[in-house]
Amino acid sequence: MNQLVLVPVILPLLGAGLCLVLGRSARAQRVVSIAVLAVVVVTAAVLLVRADRYGPQSVHVGGWPADIGISLVADRLAALMLLVSTIVTLCVLLYSFGQGIVEFGRDTPLSVFHPTYLVLSAGVSNAFLSADLFNLFVGFEVLLASSYVLITLGGTEARIRAGTIYIVVSLVSSVIFLLAIACVYAATGTVDLASLAERIQDLPPDVARVLQLLLLVTFCIKAAVFPLSAWLPDSYPTAPAPVTAVFAGLLTKVGIYAIIRTQTLLFPDSDLRTLLLWAAILTMVIGILGAVAQSDVKRVLSFTLVSHIGFMLLGIALATPLGLTGAIFYIAHHITVQTVLFLVAGLIEHRSGTTNLDRLGGLARAAPVLSVMFFVPAMNLAGIPPFSGFLGKLALAQAGVQAGDWLALLAVAASIVTSLLTLYAVAKVWNRAFWQPIDTDAQGETIEPASEALGALHGSTRVAPATGLQAVAEEQRLPMRMALPTLALVLVSVGLTVLAGPLFGYTERAADELVQRTPYITAVLGGEG
Amino acid sequence: MSVNLLLVVVVGVLVGCGVTLVLERSLTRILVGFVLIGNGVNVLFLISSGPAGAPPLIGRSDEPMSDPLPQAMALTAIVITLGVTAFGLALAYRSWQLFGHDDVQDDLEDDLVRRRADLDVTSSTYDEADTDVPDEEGADEPDDESEPASAEEERP
Amino acid sequence: MIALVTLHFLAAAVAPGLTRWLDRRAFLVLALVPLASFVWLLGPVGAATADGRVTRVDLTWIPGLGLDLELAITPLSGVMALVVTGVGALVLAYCAWYFRAGDPEIWRFSAVLVGFAGSMLGLVLADNLYVLYVFWELTTVLSYLLIGHNPERRANRRAAMNALLVTTFGGLAMLVGFVVLGREAGTARLTEIVADPPTGAATTVAVLLILVGAISKSALVPFHFWLPGAMAAPTPVSAYLHAAAMVKAGVYLVALLAPAFAATPGWRPVLVGLGLVTMVIGGLRALRQHDIKLLLAYGTVSQLGFLVAVIGAGTRSALLAGLALVCSHALFKATLFLVVGVVDRATGTRDLRELTGLARRMPVLAVAAVLAAASMAGVPPLLGFTAKEAALAAFEDLGTDAGIGAWGDLALVGLVLGSVLTVAYTARFVWGAFGTRDVPEPSVERPAAGFLAPPVVLAVAGLAAGFAGGPLTDRLSTYADALPEGAHEPVLTLWHGFTLALALSVLCLVGGLALWLARRPVAVAQAAFVERLHVPDAERSYQAVVRGVDRLSVEVTGRTQRGSLPAYLAVVLVVLVVVPGTALVMAWRPVSLRGPDNVLQLAVAALIVVGAVMTVRSRRRLRAVLLLGVTGYGTALLFVAHGAPDLALTQVLVETFMLVTFVLVMRRLPPFFSDRPFTTTRLLRIGLGVLAGLTVSGIALVTAGARTAQPIGQLFEKPAYEYGGGKNIVNVTLVDIRAWDTLGELSVLVVAATGVASLIFLLTDRATSHRSARLARRPGANPGATLPAAATLPDTRRSTVFEVVTRLVFHSLIVFSIYLMLAGHNDPGGGFAGGLVAGLALMVRYLAGGRRELDAAAPIDAGTVLGLGLAVAALAGLLPTLLGGGVLQSAIIDVEVPVLGTLHLVTSVFFDIGVYLVVVGLALDVLRSLGGGIDKHREQDEGSSTREEAIA
Repeated sequence: MNQLVLVPVILPLLGAGLCLVLGRSARAQRVVSIAVLAVVVVTAAVLLVRADRYGPQSVHVGGWPADIGISLVADRLAALMLLVSTIVTLCVLLYSFGQGIVEFGRDTPLSVFHPTYLVLSAGVSNAFLSADLFNLFVGFEVLLASSYVLITLGGTEARIRAGTIYIVVSLVSSVIFLLAIACVYAATGTVDLASLAERIQDLPPDVARVLQLLLLVTFCIKAAVFPLSAWLPDSYPTAPAPVTAVFAGLLTKVGIYAIIRTQTLLFPDSDLRTLLLWAAILTMVIGILGAVAQSDVKRVLSFTLVSHIGFMLLGIALATPLGLTGAIFYIAHHITVQTVLFLVAGLIEHRSGTTNLDRLGGLARAAPVLSVMFFVPAMNLAGIPPFSGFLGKLALAQAGVQAGDWLALLAVAASIVTSLLTLYAVAKVWNRAFWQPIDTDAQGETIEPASEALGALHGSTRVAPATGLQAVAEEQRLPMRMALPTLALVLVSVGLTVLAGPLFGYTERAADELVQRTPYITAVLGGEG
Repeated sequence: MSVNLLLVVVVGVLVGCGVTLVLERSLTRILVGFVLIGNGVNVLFLISSGPAGAPPLIGRSDEPMSDPLPQAMALTAIVITLGVTAFGLALAYRSWQLFGHDDVQDDLEDDLVRRRADLDVTSSTYDEADTDVPDEEGADEPDDESEPASAEEERP
Repeated sequence: MIALVTLHFLAAAVAPGLTRWLDRRAFLVLALVPLASFVWLLGPVGAATADGRVTRVDLTWIPGLGLDLELAITPLSGVMALVVTGVGALVLAYCAWYFRAGDPEIWRFSAVLVGFAGSMLGLVLADNLYVLYVFWELTTVLSYLLIGHNPERRANRRAAMNALLVTTFGGLAMLVGFVVLGREAGTARLTEIVADPPTGAATTVAVLLILVGAISKSALVPFHFWLPGAMAAPTPVSAYLHAAAMVKAGVYLVALLAPAFAATPGWRPVLVGLGLVTMVIGGLRALRQHDIKLLLAYGTVSQLGFLVAVIGAGTRSALLAGLALVCSHALFKATLFLVVGVVDRATGTRDLRELTGLARRMPVLAVAAVLAAASMAGVPPLLGFTAKEAALAAFEDLGTDAGIGAWGDLALVGLVLGSVLTVAYTARFVWGAFGTRDVPEPSVERPAAGFLAPPVVLAVAGLAAGFAGGPLTDRLSTYADALPEGAHEPVLTLWHGFTLALALSVLCLVGGLALWLARRPVAVAQAAFVERLHVPDAERSYQAVVRGVDRLSVEVTGRTQRGSLPAYLAVVLVVLVVVPGTALVMAWRPVSLRGPDNVLQLAVAALIVVGAVMTVRSRRRLRAVLLLGVTGYGTALLFVAHGAPDLALTQVLVETFMLVTFVLVMRRLPPFFSDRPFTTTRLLRIGLGVLAGLTVSGIALVTAGARTAQPIGQLFEKPAYEYGGGKNIVNVTLVDIRAWDTLGELSVLVVAATGVASLIFLLTDRATSHRSARLARRPGANPGATLPAAATLPDTRRSTVFEVVTRLVFHSLIVFSIYLMLAGHNDPGGGFAGGLVAGLALMVRYLAGGRRELDAAAPIDAGTVLGLGLAVAALAGLLPTLLGGGVLQSAIIDVEVPVLGTLHLVTSVFFDIGVYLVVVGLALDVLRSLGGGIDKHREQDEGSSTREEAIA
């Protein structure tokens, strides 16, 4: 039964293989992708229930003894991450059909999108499930490699420019990760997380700290923690909307997950609280200031993404059960809401031909449904109650006040300022794109990666309208195939509020599991395969 | 565990040179640097695998074998590096196709913001306070007649 | 209760549909919801106010946060609930006539307004800190939408934004206050906190933070400016949100906490002080307005100051008076706004310089207006009067009751001053709206009876309540019963006898009227006053703050977000050097070192070092790559010296493969790296490189030196043979022990390969390219050639020798590769090595014969090969589960193979086949794309250039 843990990884890979084999038929590819991801979602749900009922679900691949072979573990945290991420992945896939990215994909040599996308989801799942440091690295490489391909999809100038920045930074981070692993093995002679949890205790603490910091630097690059975050806002916005959406939702969270996992499991009595808290504060504040300064919806969203990573880091830094609970809850919330917002940005782009705020306007009257689909998640992101964003923030604030020292309180203050500025940023977007009548004499200096990307997306067939004006003028309805998945995700994000009670209880138990450590370790070393 | 100083030096040199190259602008050069660092890390795996020994082939010799696990990991790393390097090269070629060189470009939107910072002006989405009063009726001073024309110019 | 609130939100949900169906008449239906709530509430509120019996509803939501749906009807919240629902019902009904038939926006408006009514009801009923906050913010956001009802005007958008930011700022401060307070009190239940309030510094801070929220919400100085702006909203909204309901939220919060925290340090100074200042400033501003709606808006600001000051005083009598004032204010201010709405609709203007003769044209309306205005001015026999009398009486005793001595009298003076202004702007309003002046009468369309009903009802209620002083006293005072007796027992009545309060009331009326009669000189004086000493304008300073934040954001972003890759990498590397570097220095310790394990190592190491350094120095692409190769092969030699043959073999093959790939790409790129002069940045690069190198080697030393435990790799030997069934431990590790890694690694290769192809063949359909090979191989294409398709190459690029060699080598290479793959399990080799050899074979074929030759050699789409490989590997992993084992578990089979002898076959070999296929696929793909693809591009370019020459 525990073999189920492997499904979320191996099945998408198989699917990817199939997609490549039956390369030319887009329909067959769609069927495969949907089927695979649907199964994975179900599996994830089952794993979640089992992990909650019977404790961490572990499997030793190939039946090798735990410390020798590779183990995969779905504890409460991993299972939750898995479920949320797979749901998001599925929705975005459905959205991408409407987006026309697949039509574009068919023209490319081996229709790239589907197999790559599947491999990406496999990599993400693997990163969540892996209980082996080197295998975690492999998982990262899998999702990164596929992200390289997706972010440069179509090879337009903007995407090559942005993609290069993204790829090179990721390459460097990977090589640092590899370096860290080599050092970990050098010091402890193992890469199995559970064994490490025990062996690192035997190291001299200051040596252990070196390893801890190496890993932290790696993961902080992936999670876009200031000052290692600058690459993100440059690279994400140019990709096709679904790609950006799934990146924003998942990739950074994988980094955060890795931080939580390693910090709680390997370095339980860490003395880096101050460092992490400062990182959290700076990430929140500087990130949100970036968002305020932007003039493009996608870029605003990218900066809020960076900024809100700080919230999660805050919870991790506090490292109290309540703090971790808040962090985990916030991750679940942020994955969904950030994805939704980027999908909506895609809809805006689809409708108006741009996401540039100096060209958009009047959408509230022209596209009421769209405006609702933006407003709700936007308020959610800004932490307006009763949405999930508020609940996560409340938990973090309580945790900070609970800690009570001045730095923690400062962090709470920073989080408050951040949510106010987040509200300001999204309200700016609302005022501009949805309320303000279209301003035809938009500043000349505004460049337009968005519509270029769009042009590439739709090949030569569809010419993107230059200004929102025409789009609004021409009565162009929302493509259902894009709107429905978005709507579904909006509902999911609202559902997080409705189900907040049980969900929060679950995250509390998950955090508790992390603080105890023993369930995870026994699941790998002591537990049966 | 005693450490092989020689290998440590090699690692340092490879990584150092690699880093120097990675900080360049030419993408091919960056890739060369990346591969250098990669080689360095592979050597690092040798260090982590302890003393040299007989090849880990069972029944070939009775001397103690070298630790196979780091070798396996290094091998995996090597192959992954190969894959992404190939992709990186394709990227370099593509950017040569587009821009006529393979130097990494700066981000344009960031440049816009920086220019605004140098000009000491607000973000383009900031609404300057003005004098007109709020009211339930009415609208901004609209210049509808000019709109279609400018829209024409805007079209790519 | 929960049902009531939910009902509102359900109504909000159906409202759009309803408006589509009934148009504006839908409001009448919607009005039933608050009306029903009002009726339902009468019972429990009656009970609560009679003998303080509290009705509760609890519903657990998130116990972990103390966030449970706890609602309660207390004497205070009950009264507020009645006000909110009562006025709400009337205002909604009023909308049915206020909006023009077929207004396209009302579907949104109706939903938001009803939703707002629900949130407001929830706010007053909430008995839990966080639930209160939830509804508090909901009202904020909804009012943002209502103020932006007509977003066409820039000023409206900005007004909405201001209201949103200001109130949310206060709200967030309040949230922190709540969190602290909840923690101090150990409960989030309001009734419990108030019953047994915590004390101490933390509590004081918390309470003051909460007050920030209250003040911002109730538009007190210095946050008052957002309220007049909010008049951008339709008049019913102004009547409801900005007079009766939302702005009262702050007052309500103060009233809620006053019994418990009035003695908290800072409480009275802040509330009474700011309250009175606001009252005066609001009054003065109101005297300068011409738009009667704005006049009322500033009047509201002034009144809110009044309310907060009285309730903030927090004595028993003050609280009673305050509650009475809240009710009266709700009644008369809503009336007046509704009247303004009628006037606006009837005449099309709200400018009191254009209005005239309305008293004659709309007598009913005039009467209602006058009644309400009288109540506002505190004229007997209206509720406004009794309440204000009580307030004045309460402030008489403030010094003694609250024990603040002379400050109390000062407060009283302020109160009187404010009241004088109130009377003055009331007179201005009445005269302005209904007086007669010599201007052309505006055309008046008679308002429908239903349009007039709501204001009339409210006005009459105010009148009736004025006479009901006795019962009101009993009802309202239950809320303040807990507090200690004051100097006098407070009562609401029209006649106290000849008291100071009465005298002050008269003073206010007389003074106010005098002020109004002398309005012209007063106006002049006021203008001059404002001119002379520049009173800091709150709005301007707010705008300055917002602008400052925006500027800051631009500056910070401009600095941190350089947009340049080298900068980003530099940051990453500096962090790497500084952060773990520091830890490294702290962790530094003597490490037991040893020299080279053998001579080979030494020699090779030297070679590598030289190669690496020269690579950095070389400005020629090709040279750099070749030197890179040197270091690569050197590394391979190091592996050999270390006893890692598989690693060495793979490294050599990979290095070769990579070299060729590099060269394939570089044939198109310029021969030299783009030249940049020797600058300081270059020095920095080198410096950073040196530092990074040092850090890494340092870390390597320390970590490797710290090893004590036995590496698990040493445990592999037995299981590898017994369980994995192979003698080559590394290969067993790859395809069995850590096959999971390998699977991932394969997917990386697959994805990378597809990516390469997608970048080279952007939109061209290249999947068919190998078909052209068939054409090339058609019989008679070029008979007798050693490499058939090589004929497609220009002769300059052909070399017969090379072709012959290739012919001979190719197939043997392929066979060898397969052998490597199969033998790998026990001897050096394995799927990777095999696949790479096969790849090199193809490479040779391509170099010799060009891309068509490659297609001839492998007439199959690379994607298929890749996919096949990945699928095979995955299936090989899944297969054992069918045999009842676990994923990737291997079984051992011995088979007799004629050529190779007994083949000790392990199921993991199938996995290795997958590996082999993927690597071949990668090779094929890279050759097709970076080889053939680039050839094609070049030919196209040359073709086009020649064509251009031909044209020229």
